[in-house]
Amino acid sequence: MIQRLYAHNYRCFENFELNLKSISSCLLIGKNGSGKSAVGDVLELFQKIGRGTNRVGELLTPTDFAWGNQTLPMRFELEALIEQRPFKYEIAFELPNGFRELRVFEEKLSVENTPIYTRDLAQVTVFRTNNNSEAKFLVDWHLVALPIISASSEKDPVQVFKSWLSMLTILSPIPNLISGDSTSETLHLTKDGANFSDWLEGLLGAFPAAYADLDNSLKQVLPDFKDFQRPSTGITSKKLVVQFVRERQSFRVDFEHLSSGEKCFFIWSAILAANKHLGGLFCFWDEADSHLSLSEIGHFISALRQSYQQEGQIILTTHSEEVVRKFSHENTFYLGRKSHLEPTIIRPLSEVYTGKNIVHDLLLDDIEL
Amino acid sequence: MSVNKFEPHLLVLPEDDANRQLVNGFITSPNLNIRAIQVLPVAGGWEIAVRNFLNEEVQKLRTYNQRRFLLLIDFDGDSERRNEVSNQIPEDISERVFVLGVLTEPERLRVMLGMNYEKIGASLANECYRNERKFWAHELLAHNEAELVRLNESVRRFLFPKRGASP
Repeated sequence: MIQRLYAHNYRCFENFELNLKSISSCLLIGKNGSGKSAVGDVLELFQKIGRGTNRVGELLTPTDFAWGNQTLPMRFELEALIEQRPFKYEIAFELPNGFRELRVFEEKLSVENTPIYTRDLAQVTVFRTNNNSEAKFLVDWHLVALPIISASSEKDPVQVFKSWLSMLTILSPIPNLISGDSTSETLHLTKDGANFSDWLEGLLGAFPAAYADLDNSLKQVLPDFKDFQRPSTGITSKKLVVQFVRERQSFRVDFEHLSSGEKCFFIWSAILAANKHLGGLFCFWDEADSHLSLSEIGHFISALRQSYQQEGQIILTTHSEEVVRKFSHENTFYLGRKSHLEPTIIRPLSEVYTGKNIVHDLLLDDIEL
Repeated sequence: MSVNKFEPHLLVLPEDDANRQLVNGFITSPNLNIRAIQVLPVAGGWEIAVRNFLNEEVQKLRTYNQRRFLLLIDFDGDSERRNEVSNQIPEDISERVFVLGVLTEPERLRVMLGMNYEKIGASLANECYRNERKFWAHELLAHNEAELVRLNESVRRFLFPKRGASP
């Protein structure tokens, strides 16, 4: 579980800190441009590093500096409890005069306050606790070190952390991009959901029993849903086909022809199943209520919260009052900023809100930070 | 889909934001069938809750005979409030309408228990599932006992289908 997320000198963030200790599900609310989606972008940066992207130019550009302030480093920190051990990963970037691409300024991974490796510009020092030694080597300062540091085993903290980062699921689905065709298997769902079918193949390949959970969830939201199949369309390709039935008449439809909301139901049911079978899946879902009818939103969100109450961690953003109602003051964070020239401020509602009707006060923009 | 109007289900009308947060905790209980419960927007006061119920929900309760309705109100120290509300509920639907709430107000309960609303709600749900009384026996909640028994008999079968200890 993520305990703390920190970003500095990045877009609208200055000393931005999101504390999530003991919070299994939470909601980010705030006006357009307040920085909700940017939280997802920070998490995606860590996810990309975990999935092996190490070229700094593929992670950040000079335009990501807050208000173009290139005189200060841009810094990110992530603290997480993984397998009951506290991990902390810190990375800072800078753009010296004459540079076109940012370079790594500092980088550090520690577990239980013990450094695993540190990095100062190009110099990386890896600490070996078993024989109290250290190894030093140089890394191109335009490369992040974490993806290229080799691990001695699956239990090596570097490997544990990289694997965990790679499984961070950041979602802002674009249903029109989700075709239903799959050509491979993966456990890494892309932000836009375009590789949903590959991810579903990966999930069902790793956890065949997840089908029953998907089936159960989908039947709750699509009463005439019968099943889904994945017939082969080539040597390595498959197509997702959904079957509906009513009064002994059945109808098959290609996944790509489902409505946007129905595709989101599939993503939702797969996230619930993945969270259960992976033993906890971190998920950031930007505007999770998009494409859903009003009568569906409440149960959609409650099911996620119910699942994540047991394991995993989920962060949602929304502009929907029905979603706002499904969270409480201690797990709802309000983001705001006074103007585009000032940084985002984030506070839990339990600290800043004393009103009696949060939806009403959001409607009137009556919340003061 | 939303609650199935033709299957047993429970609508909850919280009087205010504090009661809404209590229910949020209740419905995240892992044993609860969330498809059988729908929480309505807060009413903004117990009298408004009752008025809205009488004006908008009574007829629908007659139409949908599988519907149960819970008014979650503050008693503000008035032990006669339940009777005052119950006396206004038409007799033909009264067995499917329930009135629960904190004897004073939820804020007082929150302070006394030292827990946030969601944790209190989750604890109350777990006790409903296990048919236990610890939080429900709290001095600010114990006055609900008879109504809670009546509610349990009506909703437990579909709200907690994976049942805990037998009543």
